[in-house]
Amino acid sequence: MNNFFAEPLFIFQLVAVALMGAAGGMLGSFALLRRMALVGDALSHVALPGLALALLFHFNPLIGALAFLLFGTTVIWAIEHRTRIPVDTLVGVLFVVALAIGTLLTPDVELLEALFGDITDVSLAQIVWGASLSLLIIALLLFLKSKITLSLLSADLAQTARLRPHLLEFLFLTLFALITSVGIQFAGVLLTGSLIIIPAAISRNLTGSMKTYVFLSALLGGAGTVAGVIIATATGLAPGPTFILLLGSIFFVSLLFKKNTA
Amino acid sequence: MPILEVKDLSVFYGKEKALENVSFSINKGETIAVIGPNGSGKTTLLKALIGALPSEGEIKTEKEISMGYVPQKLDVERNLPLTGQEFLNLAQTDKEKTPYTPKEMIQMVGLLPQHMRKSLSTFSAGEFQKLLMGFALRTRPSLLLFDEPTASVDVGGQETIYDLLHRLQDKEQFATILVSHDLTTVYRYATKVLCLNKTQICFGPPQEVLTPQELEKLYGGGRRFYHHLHE
Repeated sequence: MNNFFAEPLFIFQLVAVALMGAAGGMLGSFALLRRMALVGDALSHVALPGLALALLFHFNPLIGALAFLLFGTTVIWAIEHRTRIPVDTLVGVLFVVALAIGTLLTPDVELLEALFGDITDVSLAQIVWGASLSLLIIALLLFLKSKITLSLLSADLAQTARLRPHLLEFLFLTLFALITSVGIQFAGVLLTGSLIIIPAAISRNLTGSMKTYVFLSALLGGAGTVAGVIIATATGLAPGPTFILLLGSIFFVSLLFKKNTA
Repeated sequence: MPILEVKDLSVFYGKEKALENVSFSINKGETIAVIGPNGSGKTTLLKALIGALPSEGEIKTEKEISMGYVPQKLDVERNLPLTGQEFLNLAQTDKEKTPYTPKEMIQMVGLLPQHMRKSLSTFSAGEFQKLLMGFALRTRPSLLLFDEPTASVDVGGQETIYDLLHRLQDKEQFATILVSHDLTTVYRYATKVLCLNKTQICFGPPQEVLTPQELEKLYGGGRRFYHHLHE
């Protein structure tokens, strides 16, 4: 159990969580432009029934989670654009119901891990998959940053710029689902939202331009998850909650230096 | 030859009709003011014109005209880590070539060079609306749709949004459809008035259509507005 740094798998893990944290932080910086943080947080809950089914029927849990997340994404998007029902309310109810179903379905021994995650218990294949997906998300966000920003800022303005805001929003939610499916290994169904929300929330307090805001969010996400894993491994604590406590404290300190007041 | 002609336009939110039977046209350089009570479909009309809401009926334009749109300032989240320049840079996502640089857009709408580097959260309401206007004018549109220009004057005697609109309209020769609550400005600036209350109540030059009777029909006992007109 000691000297984890000598283990190649541990080093791979650190690289993977750094990428995952950076992707989550970067995605979060866009999500917070539109106060989508809570919708995204609720979205992660919908992964639990998928995980549970995978455990019951012995297929890859990531596939189960991802399938349910993509379904959840489509539901959020459809509610927003095909109906006039307030998104937060319905999403809130729907996804808590999903969480309840998932909790009942998940075998007891696996429940804690599914809810709170444990990155120390993943295979090399999962690490590689997580890292590649994170890189893909970062690349797509960088490539589409102006279009996504304008769409999230004002769908109407995006429309006049001849973009397709609803499609871009769907793409963005899909990226949200992808990063959540990766984050679940690290922080579980309940805490994954923190990867997306907290780094961006800190960064938003400290920056005044989009460029530094996105960069700092990614940096905090990457550094925070790595620090979380190292501290957790050294102390035997769970990495997800460790990450949250670490970045949560930074968030409260950042309030003292808040740049934008409205 | 009108640059935009609207015939029997109806707009739906799901199954609910938000606006029906709207017909009007606008010529080059003209200004139409859209008036009506809250929830009467004014913003809905603008959104249908830019194609953000599905509609029935005809929206005929002269070839492919370019439209600029200034949304209600409350519709755009402003407490953001985004500088004036970064906001205007988003205009570069437009498939059409933008003839102006962000710096030129800032100058055009009467903002100062330091607004380029300032965060949007520090802009005043008036400044933010000018920035939105710069964004809307980035493609040299032949039609500008403007949802509720702010009546308030900024500190330091800066030009009002209406003065600015007028100055730019003289220079760039675009037509404007503006939503306004302020009947005084409607009288001063509009060549025609379109009154809406879920459906079209009137359309024509302000002197002809803004009679006390029409206003009463529009607002339902609009004594306050009647009074306002004679101030």
